[in-house]
Amino acid sequence: MHPWTARFVLAAVLVGASASQPPWAGAQHESTSVVIVTGQQATTPVPTLMEGPQNNLANFEIADHLFLRLAEVGPGLITAGDRGFLPRLARRWTRRDSLTLIFELDPRARWHDGAPVTSRDVVFTYRRARDPEIAPRLAQVTRQIASVAAEDDRHVVFRFSEVYSEQLYDASFHVAILPAHLLADLPPTKEAWSGFVQRPLGSGPYRWVRRVEGQFIELAANREFFLGRPKIERVIVQVAASADARLNLLLAGDADAIDNIPPPLTNYARVEAARHVRVVQVPSNNVGYLLFNQRDPAARDRPHPILAEADVRRALVLALDRDLLVRAVLGQYGYVPFGPVSAQLWIRHRAPEPTGQDQSTARRLLAGRGWVDRNQDGIREDRNGAPLSLRLTVSTSSFIRSQMAVMIKEQLRQVGVDIELVRVEAPVWLQRRAAGDFDIDFSAATQDPSPSGLVQSWTCGGPTNVAGYCDPAADSLLQAAIASPRADSGLWHAYLRQVEATAPAAFLYTQTFVFGVNRRFRDVTIRPESSWRALWRWEAAGS
Amino acid sequence: MLQAVLTFATAVVLMFVLMRLAPGDPIQRAQDDRMMSSQELARLRAIYHLDQPIHRQFAEFLKGVARADLGNSIEHGLPVTTLLAGRMVPTMLLGGAAILLNFTVGLWLGVRQAIRRGSREDRALTVLSLAGYATPSFWLGLVLAWLVGVKLGWLPVAGMKDPLLPPDAPLMVRALDVAAHLVLPALTLSIVTIAGTMRYQRTALLEVLRLPYIGTARAKGIPERAVVWRHGWRNALFPVITLFGLWLPLLVTGSVFVEMVFAWPGLGSLAADAAASRDYPLVMGAALLAAGLVVVASLLTDLAYALLDPRVRHS
Repeated sequence: MHPWTARFVLAAVLVGASASQPPWAGAQHESTSVVIVTGQQATTPVPTLMEGPQNNLANFEIADHLFLRLAEVGPGLITAGDRGFLPRLARRWTRRDSLTLIFELDPRARWHDGAPVTSRDVVFTYRRARDPEIAPRLAQVTRQIASVAAEDDRHVVFRFSEVYSEQLYDASFHVAILPAHLLADLPPTKEAWSGFVQRPLGSGPYRWVRRVEGQFIELAANREFFLGRPKIERVIVQVAASADARLNLLLAGDADAIDNIPPPLTNYARVEAARHVRVVQVPSNNVGYLLFNQRDPAARDRPHPILAEADVRRALVLALDRDLLVRAVLGQYGYVPFGPVSAQLWIRHRAPEPTGQDQSTARRLLAGRGWVDRNQDGIREDRNGAPLSLRLTVSTSSFIRSQMAVMIKEQLRQVGVDIELVRVEAPVWLQRRAAGDFDIDFSAATQDPSPSGLVQSWTCGGPTNVAGYCDPAADSLLQAAIASPRADSGLWHAYLRQVEATAPAAFLYTQTFVFGVNRRFRDVTIRPESSWRALWRWEAAGS
Repeated sequence: MLQAVLTFATAVVLMFVLMRLAPGDPIQRAQDDRMMSSQELARLRAIYHLDQPIHRQFAEFLKGVARADLGNSIEHGLPVTTLLAGRMVPTMLLGGAAILLNFTVGLWLGVRQAIRRGSREDRALTVLSLAGYATPSFWLGLVLAWLVGVKLGWLPVAGMKDPLLPPDAPLMVRALDVAAHLVLPALTLSIVTIAGTMRYQRTALLEVLRLPYIGTARAKGIPERAVVWRHGWRNALFPVITLFGLWLPLLVTGSVFVEMVFAWPGLGSLAADAAASRDYPLVMGAALLAAGLVVVASLLTDLAYALLDPRVRHS
């Protein structure tokens, strides 16, 4: 190397190293900005358009900054009854009778363009939401709303088709309100709405600024927000698909907050060790379980040759040390649920404790059904010599499930059950699950805050009941719990006990999501049902 | 030219058919952990023409291509052309920087190795380049991001620009910002690919330096620097140009791991995600682009040959 070249390189390195503040880092220290790093970028953060593949967390989280609902579920996440909800676009609500709710809109509520929020907006939004051609998912979850009508500019009347405890929840949680004065004249197709999708305009605490493809979305405070001016002026939602990149951004101070840090446990340790980061734990909305197929995968009209027997399913549950599985993979950030109940559902409170591992009972149950190790190879066989062998299908996209599956195989082998792990890509796994092509499926479900969503998978006619689970007694108990006019956890627990007794699945874990937030922020609240919804109340040191 | 068009068409048809033969359903995949009813799934299938036989799907695709409309991405819900366009600049920046580093530093080091054949420097560079070649790019990227970005705080750890920098900031400030974000991913990509260029260049130049006309040049008293660079190097470029032609498409779509580790918004990670989620429209859009790049790279290689070698030009 030429001596001058070497000197130049050395000088450049020294200058770079000695610079206390690189020129590109200047903007990072704005005290009234927050940079949140997430794994996916929102593309359609517009209520009633977040359907199908767009029904994802990234869209909902941006939409929650831009658009308001009539009311919000309170901190206890109690979805039943009329108590505990927080006023948003509606400042109060009253009951005319057990089938009629009347919302009174807050007269201070304004769209970001200054137009007032009126009953017309609510009626327009719910007309779209209840149209299965436009929003099939929303139409399904709001099916018990019989009509939505404006009484005057400020009062909206919701009529329900039957009496049940979650009327207020159904009328407020599922859909935020859209500006009719901008959208009512557009055709209902998504293409016609593309201009609005590129630059959504709502009534929430933040307004849209820009979206940079594959990089970030920028929002700015709505200074005229009628519930109080947000203290954080700018919100940047940056995208980094890799968990390592997200962690690096947080730890280097380039990002202020990160959502749902995934395992392995070393990731949690890295965040806990960072002095400038506060760890915030949030109850998750997901639950992981081994789903036992009760129909024969080869012929769905026949019962499964092994798993149709409730005693065999119960034995498989008892053979598992579920606490150990959770501790090994999730550490302190998860627990074994009682039934298909994520940490977010209010019915988890005072629920019975899940049964612990009991290998001797598991062995007895299996032997009682004729499964005995006849050739002393460690695996049980039936009377004809067929081994007790099952396929466990697991998606390679889930670290948690992939890790647990290996331990499950070993734990079940200890009671003489042979497990063949079938690891497949997520699309293949989903296809097989939907077709019922599995013995045991390592499933995970993302739940709404309402326990009534259990109808979908855990009733005889549930539209997503892919394992052929059917217990009329459980169905009756679930219907009674849903129909109860108040939040009655006793009814729900009776249903969960029935589910656990028939063992349609081994419910393995529900997570506590781990968020990292820079310590310079005060009044940090992260909502389980929508992580950053309360961000407008955060405050930054020095702001 | 005809061959290029045929290559392009074959690649696109193969990709279309193979994606649909692969197990896994894009609509099932899209529901993830939030299960959809069968009616909703059927409605989505109809929207994306997935309820039709494959030849009709292909006809729809061709009609769209003729209108420059590649449809909407299933996962993202946005037009494929919008998504691809948004990723082009970052992709060209990263690929361009990596190619630039590769074919400047790589060529220069290869030449140095050749003219100092057998020396300590030659052996050290060989060991270093092979070590770089053997290093997995994602691992190297993680180490560089942690060391240079997190521990030392010298360079940004991820992303393409500081999102807090206002869009109306002076051009120089914005350019510096992007350049700072570019250093680590470009370096990672270059370190793991530069060995090939060095080895090719070294071998090619050694071959040329053995030829009689080089001896003649030396006998005529031409300075050694001129012998190497003017007479030797020009003729030793051909294998490297072939390499360039092969790497050009790869550097655009093949930097998936580096893009992931540094959250670089390139086409590689977009295409890989699309393939993993069976997002047919987006996969086909990326395939069209990649196939086009192969053709362009092939044409560029032929042009470069012609430029450097009068025999090719005249034939």
